[in-house]
Amino acid sequence: MGWNEFLTLWCGVFGAMALLGFGRSLAGVTRGQRMVRVMGRIERVREPRHDGSLSDGIPVVVSFRDPSTGQEFTVTNDGDCGDLVTTAWTGREIGVRYPPGRPHAFKFADDLQDGRRGLGWPSFAVFLVYVGLVVLAAIDWGWPWALLGVGGPLAVAIACALPRDARHRRRHLDRLASVAPVQGRVIAVVKNVQTNEDGDTFVSRSPVVAFTTHEGTAVLAYCDSGLLDPANSRGRDVTIHYAPDDPGVFTPDLAAERRTRRTDLTCSVVVLLVAVAAVVVGAVMV
Amino acid sequence: MTIVTSAPPTHSTPVALARTFLAGGVSGTTLAALVVGVVVESVPLFVTGLVLPVVYGLLRFLAGRPRRAREAAVAPRTALAMIESLKAVGGDTGDIPVKFDLTVAPDDASAYRVEFRQNINLVDLPDYRPGGILVVRYPPDQPWRVKIVKRPTPEWEDRAAAAHLDSAPGQATVSEPPEGGAFDLVALLGLLLGAAAVVLLFRVELFEQETTAAPSSSSTTSVSSTSSSTVESALSGTVSLGPGQSFLDDGELRRAVNSLTAGKDPLQAITVVVQERLLSVVFSPAGVPAPQFDPLSLPYERLPALVKEARTTLGVHAPQTWQITADGLTGSLTIKVGVTGAEGTASLEADGQGQVVRRTPAR
Repeated sequence: MGWNEFLTLWCGVFGAMALLGFGRSLAGVTRGQRMVRVMGRIERVREPRHDGSLSDGIPVVVSFRDPSTGQEFTVTNDGDCGDLVTTAWTGREIGVRYPPGRPHAFKFADDLQDGRRGLGWPSFAVFLVYVGLVVLAAIDWGWPWALLGVGGPLAVAIACALPRDARHRRRHLDRLASVAPVQGRVIAVVKNVQTNEDGDTFVSRSPVVAFTTHEGTAVLAYCDSGLLDPANSRGRDVTIHYAPDDPGVFTPDLAAERRTRRTDLTCSVVVLLVAVAAVVVGAVMV
Repeated sequence: MTIVTSAPPTHSTPVALARTFLAGGVSGTTLAALVVGVVVESVPLFVTGLVLPVVYGLLRFLAGRPRRAREAAVAPRTALAMIESLKAVGGDTGDIPVKFDLTVAPDDASAYRVEFRQNINLVDLPDYRPGGILVVRYPPDQPWRVKIVKRPTPEWEDRAAAAHLDSAPGQATVSEPPEGGAFDLVALLGLLLGAAAVVLLFRVELFEQETTAAPSSSSTTSVSSTSSSTVESALSGTVSLGPGQSFLDDGELRRAVNSLTAGKDPLQAITVVVQERLLSVVFSPAGVPAPQFDPLSLPYERLPALVKEARTTLGVHAPQTWQITADGLTGSLTIKVGVTGAEGTASLEADGQGQVVRRTPAR
């Protein structure tokens, strides 16, 4: 079997899988579409233990109501239960999803709409078909087609996303600076310890900050960035800038947030320029 | 206290046995297909060996979906438990595996003992002490699959704080039912049958391959027939005769040597060895200064007479084996005929023309 036949088979198989997936989505029978999605409420928040497991999340007690039976359930984030709870305060709404009739198999979800149409795998199959077509074109018509095939969509995607991201980040910074900061404190540092086959140990740490908003909401949250020497930050007082409409959006270092915004923007522009250059070179060489 | 016995084995059924047999069969077929595919150089067979376990796994996954869905639909049961003993069994950082022995006290059933392992974070380990009360969760139909609930709901937390449990006796231990020896036997049977099926299907190619297999050198060729077989490599050649034949038969030796040298550049031999049904010639490598001779120059027509002379005149009355060795190690071509019998070994030596020059009777 030559490369052409293999790539044709590749595109055919993944194309068929994509069609099947889109068909199932249209018929409304994908797993994501059948999932029950409800909003739960955090009833109780506890402080995580210092040096405890990072992957356990902030201990919370959540209640939600099953819409089909009307029954109220009270659960905790014990073990594998979906997205990690990294920001919590009493009264916060949190997404909960579960297969129909099985509320005990609940998972927490940061974004309740995520995966609602069940198009993740079909879209990935389309991407693989596209990769196959680009490789096929590069083999049959020459490598410049690979530059066009990769650079073209990448340039379009970044060009479309860049203004939106820029607006989003500007709004994000405006929200953080819209109210006076509050004092917070690092109450614990949680960590994950992993050991590879050679016996090398890798430790990832995340400080946990506690702060109370001007509205009186007591927030506990992982703080992955903006703190120097996070491993030894327990007990440190920090100044928290937060978004008044969502205390989960916060930073202990507004200046660093601005620098990050500029760096991200620069990176996006560089990638856009590289993609455009690839398209130009490809078009000239074809 | 009622003793809780192990749940009846859920997989000691004919269906489970059939599934085990099928798994063994697929394993045997896969292994045999891969090996036989390489031996007989059959790409489709080799690919079958690769694809078969994948297809079987996929089918098994699909077939198991209803069962998994049924199991998942059953809500796990929550209960209080008391730690009888615990022991960390490895690791010293992060989550470490801990072996627990618990008494589990379900609300609607008798208490039972269970042993299991669970990873516990090092900083949480002091919370677990013998006699401590925990909240656990398990599937109702598999009470041995206990998991500690590290973060119970407030209701269960309050119950655990106020609870006092009695230890269940050791006889009340619940554990996963063992599969038993029948499953091992059935799996082995499936494995053997699967492998045998592939070997039987490809027996013709396999046995052809074996008969004509090259011994070591990549430049070796081989020919087979019902009466004799010839194996040749760059530096040696061997001719074997079938049953009922002998190299002492008229013209047989000359034919055999001709078959080894035919169609090639003139070859020099280092040694020629002849037995009743086996002829071996070791050829001289090109450019190597070794005592050598033209194998075609040997007086093959004289050799049967020399063997007969050695068998009858050297004191070996009932010779069992004989061997002719021709070489030029002494500087000139020497033919040595040795016979072995009850009396021992005797030999005679002849020159390149087949004239006897020395006799060594049996001692």
